Amino acid sequence: MRQLPVLRTVGTDDIFAGPDTPYAVSICVRCRGTKFLCGKRACPILVRYFADEKVKSLTEKSEMDGLSPPGIFIGRYGYPKVDIGPFISPFTEGVDIMDTPEKWVGKSLDEITQMRFSLVRGKHSVRVDGEERDRVYDIVQEIAMADRTPELEIKFSKAPRTSLGLSDSIQPFGRSGTIEKVRADTGRFNNRIEKAYNDSDLKASEAVLDLYRSSVLVSSIQRAFSAGVLGTGKRRKMVPTRWSITAVDDMLGKHLLSANRYNPVLEEFRIYTVNSLDNRWVVLMLPTSWRYELIEAWYPNTTWNPMGKQIAIFSSYEFFEGRKQYAEIGGCYYSARLAVNELMEREKFQAGVVILRESHPGYIMPIGVWNVREHVRLALTTPPHSFETLADSLAFAQQILDIPMTRWISNSGILKDYLHQRTLDSFS
Amino acid sequence: MLKASAKADILKQIVDVVSTLVDEAKFNVDADGISLKAVDPAHVAMIELTLGKGAFENYEGEETELGIDIEKLKEILKLAHAGDSVRLEHNEDKNQLIIKIGAVTRRMSLVDTAGMSDPKVPNIELPTTMKLKAEELNYGIKASESVSDHIALVADETSFEMSSEGDSDSVDYKLPKEKLLQLEAKGKVRSLFPLDYFSNMAKAISSGSEVKLNLGNNYPVKLEFEIAGGNGHVRYLLAPRVES
Repeated sequence: MRQLPVLRTVGTDDIFAGPDTPYAVSICVRCRGTKFLCGKRACPILVRYFADEKVKSLTEKSEMDGLSPPGIFIGRYGYPKVDIGPFISPFTEGVDIMDTPEKWVGKSLDEITQMRFSLVRGKHSVRVDGEERDRVYDIVQEIAMADRTPELEIKFSKAPRTSLGLSDSIQPFGRSGTIEKVRADTGRFNNRIEKAYNDSDLKASEAVLDLYRSSVLVSSIQRAFSAGVLGTGKRRKMVPTRWSITAVDDMLGKHLLSANRYNPVLEEFRIYTVNSLDNRWVVLMLPTSWRYELIEAWYPNTTWNPMGKQIAIFSSYEFFEGRKQYAEIGGCYYSARLAVNELMEREKFQAGVVILRESHPGYIMPIGVWNVREHVRLALTTPPHSFETLADSLAFAQQILDIPMTRWISNSGILKDYLHQRTLDSFS
Repeated sequence: MLKASAKADILKQIVDVVSTLVDEAKFNVDADGISLKAVDPAHVAMIELTLGKGAFENYEGEETELGIDIEKLKEILKLAHAGDSVRLEHNEDKNQLIIKIGAVTRRMSLVDTAGMSDPKVPNIELPTTMKLKAEELNYGIKASESVSDHIALVADETSFEMSSEGDSDSVDYKLPKEKLLQLEAKGKVRSLFPLDYFSNMAKAISSGSEVKLNLGNNYPVKLEFEIAGGNGHVRYLLAPRVES
């Protein structure tokens, strides 16, 4: 099974921010949600607090009966001995989408937060390789393969607690508690995943591709990959959720690209765009061989630029041969690369792709890399705007984005190369 | 039709000079030898290669095209030691290249050449011509590598210079006319190139070789050198970067 190196923690959606800075704590303490000292349009701590308040009478219980979406979480602290466990919800309706980000597009930050707080995460410390395989380990694997919403009963050692914290940059996560006893009625398995599980000669990477080709949702594939139910017999092990998301996005994107890089080159400039959760997305396509870049601009007071006075811009890119080092900007790079390769496969072309993301202050907290994958996917389902020149494309993009195109260009490895590197065709 | 044998080192050299630009290539075979023209996916660099039948220990060829997965061929040639003879036979019925190395017979399926047209070679006149040792070229590239992603090639009647400018550092490697094997120039020319391409091309030239370099002003650079003991010829073209 492919192992990602420990992920670098540079400003992206897929990581927790580091420990709270004293400054962050102090302004939150002074503000207490009343003065908007951080400049956000809503207080993320209060959003989480109210989301928790609404469901607390059901989630703050040391014994719970409920449903799992299905969902599991494999932690990464202490690897290879980590906290694993299922998500359980005390609700009976709407639970099935609570761990399926593909179904969250169109929901508000409040709704997404409310959904996440309607789940309680059970925790149990165990080695990922299964050498201490026990009841919880088995149940987590079964839940990861479940087709419907498994029924669960969990007895926690204490009533599940929140980790609201005085920080405005952690992902919305609901309560969690240490599992003392758990009982599960998993029901039927997803037959595609079960088939891969029963094939202990099938490599994890091949299983991931097979599942994708049989239209299993990326989030379900990622869950199975994370639970260690795929791969050749002895090498199976659980993979921390955060790593598994990127590993699966990377594997699938690379796979599609290995064929797409032989497709004919796009013959025009294109822009696809979408605006959601106060993020503006512009997907710019150039009539060139494959090359790709994701550039993210964070306004002051947004998730990854909490105390900044200026807009912060981060980018990672690759040319035709791909890149060897993990992308500086993190897992979102691989999520969006998968989304654009899905389009190039459907429409049988290759192109240079530059994604410009402007994250405005209404995007008050990170919600996970799914946000990047699903919104780029969404943008790519809309009809594209076609242009004959880069200048025309950028003029159109400027109507959507506030940051001047000159600044985007000076932060873009791909656009700078496009503007400065001549091709031999221009000398014919 | 192709039935030929050649020393492994010669075939490895071919693979090295081609693989710097493309993963797959179409080789044109005829009675006199093998040739190839290919452009990299970004259309920034091009290779023209000819290999006369004198490069082979024995050679029989009739006009045909072989679509070859270069990376695959590279792996196969790793089975051969330096002095080994490698036998190549085109099986037209199965569209395979049969490669025999000692007791190993490797059958490699060929790539469809239908989509691989010969690239158009730009017709360019370059005012400055020089000849230098491959080592000198590679030394100048090495000096630039830690400084910038680009390298400027500058020449006038008295010298040839390779230089790079980074955000804070810069480097110049200047070769006076005496250090070059040949220099013909009328006035100063300067062009800027992507260092990764230029470096990969230069590294594919065997040490000890002489390189002919043609240069212009904000124009492509042409690198030419011989392979297979003078029985083969390689010409690289690389498009420049422009600064504004």
